[in-house]
Amino acid sequence: MRQAGTYSGILSGGISGRTGPHSLPLARIKKIMKKSNDDVKMISGEAPIVLSKACELFIEELTKKSWMMTMQGKRRTLHKEDVASAVIGTDIFDFLVNLVENKQAGFDGRPSSSGGALQSGEKAVDRGKRVTDWRWVLARLY
Amino acid sequence: MADEQDKLLPIANVGRIMKHILPPSAKISKEAKETMQECASEFISFVTGEASDKCHKENRKTVNGDDICWALSALGFDDYAEATVSHDHGHVNRRLHHSRHENVLELVS
Repeated sequence: MRQAGTYSGILSGGISGRTGPHSLPLARIKKIMKKSNDDVKMISGEAPIVLSKACELFIEELTKKSWMMTMQGKRRTLHKEDVASAVIGTDIFDFLVNLVENKQAGFDGRPSSSGGALQSGEKAVDRGKRVTDWRWVLARLY
Repeated sequence: MADEQDKLLPIANVGRIMKHILPPSAKISKEAKETMQECASEFISFVTGEASDKCHKENRKTVNGDDICWALSALGFDDYAEATVSHDHGHVNRRLHHSRHENVLELVS
């Protein structure tokens, strides 16, 4: 696949689009692009490559912001509540607010990974897990 | 179940990117990685949707790299848009990558 000019930086900068330490699978990215957007019929060759790089930067940024929440709580393990706090506290991540709020309320459609999602009003401490509920609530006040 | 996983990026890849940006002693819960997987998919959909709308308005059928770049800027992700367009054949990418490492060191100290 020859990609000259504008996006050559991505290709020559170590992210070949197929291999590399942090690359994301392009086929999967393409699938996600198509599955959630009925209008999307045709995707050019370089679009998934550009999105792959953007996605990597997105994950990095959200992770860093989540980690700041973890540190505020004087912990060393990044929990999903920290991700939720980071989302709520960052304007450009507004599109994720529903996603993280639904997860908190127990509406995520994922197969149960830890004994089922929390029900609305239920606290993680009731399940014997470490709780950061109140911090999540505080973050919403910012 | 396989159908659900198709909508997500592999957790190993996502976890690796997260781990790389955090201090070595940091731990990441499985649920946090899963949440990040979902956020990443939502990000892809969000950006693609915006790019696709633009193509539709301009009567074009194919979403290309420029459309993605435009959508990134339009949605407030200017940094990402800049990083994906090389003015200098890789130098911009390396500089941005380096600056993100500096940010990680700042967090630790």
